[in-house]
Amino acid sequence: MSNNELTLSEDKKRTIALKITTYVVSILLTIMILTPLYYMLKQTFGEEVKLVHGAGDNTQLVITPREHMITLKEFGKLFTKADFIGFRNSMLVTCTSTLLNMYFSALTAYAITAYEWKLRAAFEKFIIVAMMIPSTVASIGFVQMCYKYHLINNLAMLIIPALATPMTVFFIRMYLKATFSREIVESARIDGAGEFRIFNQIMLPLMKPAIATQTIFCFVASWTDEWVPRIILIDNSKNIKTLPLTGSIQGAGLLMLLPPIILYAFLSKHIVEGIALGSVKA
Amino acid sequence: MSRRNHLERHYTKWGYIFVIPFVVVFLIFSFWPMASTIYYAFCYLKHAGNTNPELLTTIGKPWYQNFKEVFTAKSFWDAFKNTIVFFLASTIPEWLLAFWLAAMMTDRRMKIKGRFLWKTAFFFPKLVAGSTLGYAVLDQIISVVFQGSGYTMAALMMNGFGFKEKDLEFLTSVQFVIILATIFMHFGITFIYAVAGITGIPVEVFEAAEIDGANRAQTFFKVTLPSMRPMLFFITVVSVVDGIGMYDIPSLFGPFDTFRRNLTLMMYMEKQAFSGSYAYDRASAASLVLLAIYILMSGIIYFLFLRDKDEARLKKLNREKERELARSI
Repeated sequence: MSNNELTLSEDKKRTIALKITTYVVSILLTIMILTPLYYMLKQTFGEEVKLVHGAGDNTQLVITPREHMITLKEFGKLFTKADFIGFRNSMLVTCTSTLLNMYFSALTAYAITAYEWKLRAAFEKFIIVAMMIPSTVASIGFVQMCYKYHLINNLAMLIIPALATPMTVFFIRMYLKATFSREIVESARIDGAGEFRIFNQIMLPLMKPAIATQTIFCFVASWTDEWVPRIILIDNSKNIKTLPLTGSIQGAGLLMLLPPIILYAFLSKHIVEGIALGSVKA
Repeated sequence: MSRRNHLERHYTKWGYIFVIPFVVVFLIFSFWPMASTIYYAFCYLKHAGNTNPELLTTIGKPWYQNFKEVFTAKSFWDAFKNTIVFFLASTIPEWLLAFWLAAMMTDRRMKIKGRFLWKTAFFFPKLVAGSTLGYAVLDQIISVVFQGSGYTMAALMMNGFGFKEKDLEFLTSVQFVIILATIFMHFGITFIYAVAGITGIPVEVFEAAEIDGANRAQTFFKVTLPSMRPMLFFITVVSVVDGIGMYDIPSLFGPFDTFRRNLTLMMYMEKQAFSGSYAYDRASAASLVLLAIYILMSGIIYFLFLRDKDEARLKKLNREKERELARSI
């Protein structure tokens, strides 16, 4: 008995030690991560921080004070400037591509889960293969296609391809595998609902956690994407620029933070948690 | 039962209807570009905006001309080496950190508070990534690295462990900064998915492990990881896709770097196709190398996660049995 108690207390000690370590590591990481925000604010409203690449392995941080600080009034002016078009385009591209991505990925995942069609298993395998080979590999073919059909500098080319994102399909499918119940669909059918209506009004709300999780990740990925705009939007005129490409407008950096943070604030509480994804193998 | 089956069959057409948009867009915007990229690798296709590929064999050149040009270029091998080094050196520590933190924060006995806040903090760098804050994050990391490694260097050399300045130079190199920045930018994603995977495991499983007297390490490796296999697969794929296709962070050091210390395969591809002689053909050949790496990684992932070992063994046994049966007849 006493032996047992001893091991118990030792276990407790170890737990406390681990707990402290975890907190310390987390707090240090958080400090490391959040201090750039301070620099960012300083950079926007005060000094200019620049990386200077010298010869050899010299990379230096140079901080110079701005000639004048950007005031909140000037920050407000950003919204009326011509440069604002970059922000508007980025919003347009990111929002529409994320919406298309989510809706059609959910639809595709639902099609795999709910219906027993002949090519279902093959299609699921195809999704898995496709998600492991990102479309960036085929960039040259993509750009050539845009040249050929005069789609270069067209924002639609940043939006439409997002409709088919195997990664999102796989994630939502994983979630559906764990939570899908055929009874709901069947009872809706008995009530006379059409298949599209069942999906839009009943199944889509049920997939909310998976969709919210993927929305955050896909929105951020699209918002900060540099690759596709860089190869597709080659015209220098301002009306097609997106934000990551619009260089160094004062305050644009801060403006750029807002959409993902607002989105995260609304959706983060829905991030998947506590649901067994896929099957647990004994 | 048969009526139900009949009903089910009546609805199967909707499966096909619902995947039509996905399939059409995938074929046009992913499959077709992929196929043409493979074709261009065996063509002559240079100069900006040129859309007229000519097969290399028809203009009297060997079919492997582009591959030869790629494989004999020193910059390609630098890019190849960098990509592999960056991928391994950032993914392994990132996974250790993310999974360790996820295991600790979901531990039932430790009851760490504020999991949501930690999640937000760890995801923050990715959330605000982009050119300007990307610089700010890099600035922060560089200054910490410089200070930290400066002290470490001084301390190590003073103590005379036999270290010379040259041995520790890597601590202030561009590569080291890129790797650290990548870890910071990416580990939040791995952490969030890992927490989602671990919290998805039924509590009873952990209770059973506890009763059986398993310690934390045993529980993690023997219970937690095998139970979150689908999620683990997903995390691996995300890491591989993002890691091999690394572009944003290394390109922050972009055109300034003449020593190609930051050059990755994606950047190499961009450099070939969208600058200089606009060699789309050579870039396509380089894309095929990327494709080969992805296929190799997919194969490894498949054998690690998706192949059901028991099922494979069963199939093999069945096949042997059938063969024996055939032989006996």
